[in-house]
Amino acid sequence: MPDLTKLTPGKTILMQGNEAISRGALEAGVQFCAAYPGNPSSEILQNLAESAKSAGIYAEWSANEKVAMESAAAASFSGLRAMASMKQNGVNVAQDFICNLTISGIGTGGLVLLTADDPSAISSTNEQDARFIARLASLPLLEPTTPDECRRIMKFAFELSEAIGNIVVVRSVSRLSHTRSNVTPEALPTDRRKPYWDPKTNHFNMPVVPKHKVMLEKLAKAEGIMAASGFNAYSGPEKPELLVIASASAVLYTEEALGMLGATDRVGILKLGCTWPLPSELLLKHLAAAEQIMFGEEIDPIIEDQVKAFYAQHSPELGPKRFFGKASGHLPMIGELSPGLMASAMGKVLGVEPPKVDTAWQAKAAELVGELAPPREFGFCPGCPHRASFWSIKQVLAVDGRDGIVSGDIGCYTLGAMSTGFKRVNSVHCMGSGLGVGCGLGQLGPQGFDQPVLTVVGDSTFFHAGLPGLLNARWNQSDFLLCVLDNSATAMTGFQPHPGTGVKATGQEGNQVKVEDVLAGLGIPYDIVDPYDLEATQEAIYESLQQKGGGIRALILRRLCALVQNKRGGHPYTMSVDQDICRGEECGCNRFCSRVFRCPGLIFDEKAGKAVIDEVVCAGCGVCAQICPAGAIKAEPKKEAAA
Amino acid sequence: MTPQPAASPASVASLDRLKEQVIDAGLCVACGACVKLCPHMIFRDGMVAAPDACGLEGGRCYDLCPQAANPGQPAKRGDLFNKRGQDASNPLGPVLAAYAARAVEGAVRDAAQYGGVVSTLLYLALDQGLIGEAVLTEAGLRGAPQGVRVNTAAGVLAAAKSLYAAGGALSALNQALAEDASHKLGVVGLPCQSLAAASMTVHEKYTQAAQRIGLVIGLFCTMNMDARGLREVLKQAGINGPVQRGDFPPPPAGVFQVWTDSGMSEIPLDDVYQAKLPGCALCPDLTAELADISVGAVEGRPGWNTVLVRTAAGKELMDLARDKGLLEYEELDREGLAGLSVAAQNKRQRGLAAWKERGDA
Amino acid sequence: MSKLMYEPLDIIITGVGGQGNVLASHILGNALVDAGWQVTVGETYGLSQRGGSVMSMVRITSEKPSSPMIPENGAHAIVSLEPLEALRVAGVYGNPDTVIITNSRPMMPINVISGENKYPAIDELRGALEELGGKLYWLDATDEAMKIGAPILANVIILGAMVQAGIMPLSAEQVEKAIAGMFPEDKMPANREALSKGMQMAAA
Repeated sequence: MPDLTKLTPGKTILMQGNEAISRGALEAGVQFCAAYPGNPSSEILQNLAESAKSAGIYAEWSANEKVAMESAAAASFSGLRAMASMKQNGVNVAQDFICNLTISGIGTGGLVLLTADDPSAISSTNEQDARFIARLASLPLLEPTTPDECRRIMKFAFELSEAIGNIVVVRSVSRLSHTRSNVTPEALPTDRRKPYWDPKTNHFNMPVVPKHKVMLEKLAKAEGIMAASGFNAYSGPEKPELLVIASASAVLYTEEALGMLGATDRVGILKLGCTWPLPSELLLKHLAAAEQIMFGEEIDPIIEDQVKAFYAQHSPELGPKRFFGKASGHLPMIGELSPGLMASAMGKVLGVEPPKVDTAWQAKAAELVGELAPPREFGFCPGCPHRASFWSIKQVLAVDGRDGIVSGDIGCYTLGAMSTGFKRVNSVHCMGSGLGVGCGLGQLGPQGFDQPVLTVVGDSTFFHAGLPGLLNARWNQSDFLLCVLDNSATAMTGFQPHPGTGVKATGQEGNQVKVEDVLAGLGIPYDIVDPYDLEATQEAIYESLQQKGGGIRALILRRLCALVQNKRGGHPYTMSVDQDICRGEECGCNRFCSRVFRCPGLIFDEKAGKAVIDEVVCAGCGVCAQICPAGAIKAEPKKEAAA
Repeated sequence: MTPQPAASPASVASLDRLKEQVIDAGLCVACGACVKLCPHMIFRDGMVAAPDACGLEGGRCYDLCPQAANPGQPAKRGDLFNKRGQDASNPLGPVLAAYAARAVEGAVRDAAQYGGVVSTLLYLALDQGLIGEAVLTEAGLRGAPQGVRVNTAAGVLAAAKSLYAAGGALSALNQALAEDASHKLGVVGLPCQSLAAASMTVHEKYTQAAQRIGLVIGLFCTMNMDARGLREVLKQAGINGPVQRGDFPPPPAGVFQVWTDSGMSEIPLDDVYQAKLPGCALCPDLTAELADISVGAVEGRPGWNTVLVRTAAGKELMDLARDKGLLEYEELDREGLAGLSVAAQNKRQRGLAAWKERGDA
Repeated sequence: MSKLMYEPLDIIITGVGGQGNVLASHILGNALVDAGWQVTVGETYGLSQRGGSVMSMVRITSEKPSSPMIPENGAHAIVSLEPLEALRVAGVYGNPDTVIITNSRPMMPINVISGENKYPAIDELRGALEELGGKLYWLDATDEAMKIGAPILANVIILGAMVQAGIMPLSAEQVEKAIAGMFPEDKMPANREALSKGMQMAAA
């Protein structure tokens, strides 16, 4: 999406949920935006950065989410509307600051924390529910349903934040952030606030207990403002057989499921856009009108638990009720919801079967798919330097022969734990955790741990959360080899720049911070190798592993992300397989390249019994030519490159 | 040695059997016969590994391995001697002639381990075009031995010392055989490597080996050491830097001698034996009985080699060296070989007993 | 603006990461909103560039927004840039009336390349799609795209086929206008050629 300031107010266009969030923030007059990339939240800051110049605002990719939140708070202290956006994991990183900021209170500028959660972990390593931050830090929580509501709710969020003097949490999910739908932008504000921090005002979290009281008063005040916001709404009969209390996408799934069940007139939907604190008056009214209540929300039963607690308080006046949802087993505790899941849950309560397609067709379809459609594993892209890096790590650890352990963490290189990374990663948790695990393993030697330890970290993760672990390793003389898999991009989330690239979110030049300068500054010995050069990389890794006992040392495996390379004119080679030389399935090869190396660009022609290049897929990196035992894979310089 | 698991059923992929019986069992002697046949077997710093599964049965890697369990060395040796029409009942194996010999050229002797016979014969074979290339062992990175291919006298002399560590030299032979060429190849190897090279020449899926391996010069060997283990032993002894040459002087010396940049050092045998390859306990062969010519030291005569000529090809080369005046030599009679015979007989008995214990007589 | 055949009209666009199906659904969505429809395009990506299956669900209504997820067996049309993915999606979201439009060129999954799984014989795959769907358009879109200039143009060829097949309330002009709104002018001749090629192929 180009510059979001250029949209015509009142003209309906197709916008992604994340674009609508960004546009909503601009319409609200946001002047400071900070974030760390992480799907499904990444596009939000990307859009704002692309609009920053014409909007006259500041937008940055911060080194991590905690810094993003702190920077945004500073803007709020100085009177500007500010936001920090992140994925659910990022909220954990920022949590310490958030839990203190809620005590001190924000400045006069509204401050919004946008978390984009990922039910079903479509692009994540967990599916945690970040709405807990609202409960944990006593903050108002908003959950929009459609892209256009994303836009509107952002404006409300800033107003609410300024009205109560605290952070407001807006929660999106993958299915909303990455949905495109009709959005009708409104006008952008023309006035800009001038940042000023009156030195007579402070933002302390002391004295804690009185400030804790103030914090709770802010939350109580929010309830009234939220009740009048119009983001909570009821639709359905006055006395429904079943009341569904739903938020976000679950509202739409419920509506659709009712259509499928033909039960629109039997069920009421209480759509909650403002989910914490709970809207007590609205809840009392609708709980009184229904005896059966179901909850539609994604990931954890947060509304469900809180409504039940609320009900317990009011049970004498409300009388007996039955509750259905995650706790009752009607809806799953894991994964995304869908119209089908809502239909089957409500159908059970109402005694209605959801409509089914012809069973003979269904059986046939299941049979054909089962027989003919193998799964499609995902893995490293054609030409990915990580495939080459993990190839070398695998080869070296095998020939090292001491049961080497690889600790890793989050980024494209997480796929090192899967088949295209030769399953050569032993631990994956959160950003930077590979280094911390390396720190610990590297101290076990004196107690008899004699396995070599290799930690992999991507360049972006290195800066995000790797630095404390790195420092710790150097200080405490932890004994391991750090391999920085430097592809000079935050590739997993869409090629955002980071300190190592030196480019800022807006595309302007910043100061480049080189991985090697950080290592050198800490006194960590390092070497730089090109992972495409398999033998040089393997020798470097092997030699470094032999220095066990020498404390932390590092190898920077540096080669540009293949997708970025594609955008910059591609790789240098046209690859081919000489069919006369290829050994195919014979002893001496047995389709080593296709069977073991697993690059999508190099396929096996079953009929001919030989490897062939898929010219549509192959990136032309040339690495496979190095592993062919017969020299059958040829890398010819591309004609354009030669010209 | 520890008892080994029973041989896997023949239907299991060759590489899996090789891994289970030899590599994972710690019995690999890093001869290199399985390396560079295919991309699955890798070798670095004295060690062989197979990171990935291959899945094929009937693979050469298993068949050529001197440490594979089925058939094991005793059966394999018997079969090879049969095919060659050789009588191996003598503890020294088939012997057509035996000599004490040394190079006439002093410079060759100085560069060599003992008498310079191996270097002289190789140089001659290259010079006469009997072979176009020779495979030897040299010190590679970190001082670990590795295979090297040479085709000049200088190349031969550069690799003339014994390193006493497993070096995977046969990988270079496999590499040479994989190339589209027709010249004959000579190879210098330990008894295990001589056996593997002989196995190559009779393997039905390795016709290049039968066509191109022209000369195998075997080296006497009592046992070999793990390159990494030996480096560790030397490090403990305060010896750093690559080893240029190693030697076990005859009893009662009780030491291992190593030459590095900083001269000769001696290490007690007990220390050195920590780096002994466990797989060597299976070896019944002191004198490389499946070579064309086998060469070793002569007890009590520094600067001289014992030479056992075993095949017609070996005899031809030895005679040529004598005719050209490149070697001085004396024939060795039964008495001259008595000490060696006893040592060979002892090693043969120990090795065969170990195979019996492993389950392959 | 005519009436919709179904309310909502549900179309799935699928393929393999990197084939450009997210872009195709984006073009389609823009054209539909321009034409006055209420559109919801639910996209599944994240690891999309990494060779896995990707899917966009396009839902068209007159007024009320839809959820971003098409119910199982609810797709009126399945459009795929890769034939195996067409089958996989048809099994879950198709029904006996579903119109299937697919590119015929396989993209081999790495687990097929490695020999762990087999890719079905192409005739069998085509037969299965014929058997499951109401109508099948089987198009050599990648081959034609390469003739025009780049394999990625297969997605625009497929858009042309969708116009020709009449599965959505859009004319070729409306789609072309949406493409022109997203590409620089120098890319338009190839896109126009691909669009009309797709229409010809679906008409044949």
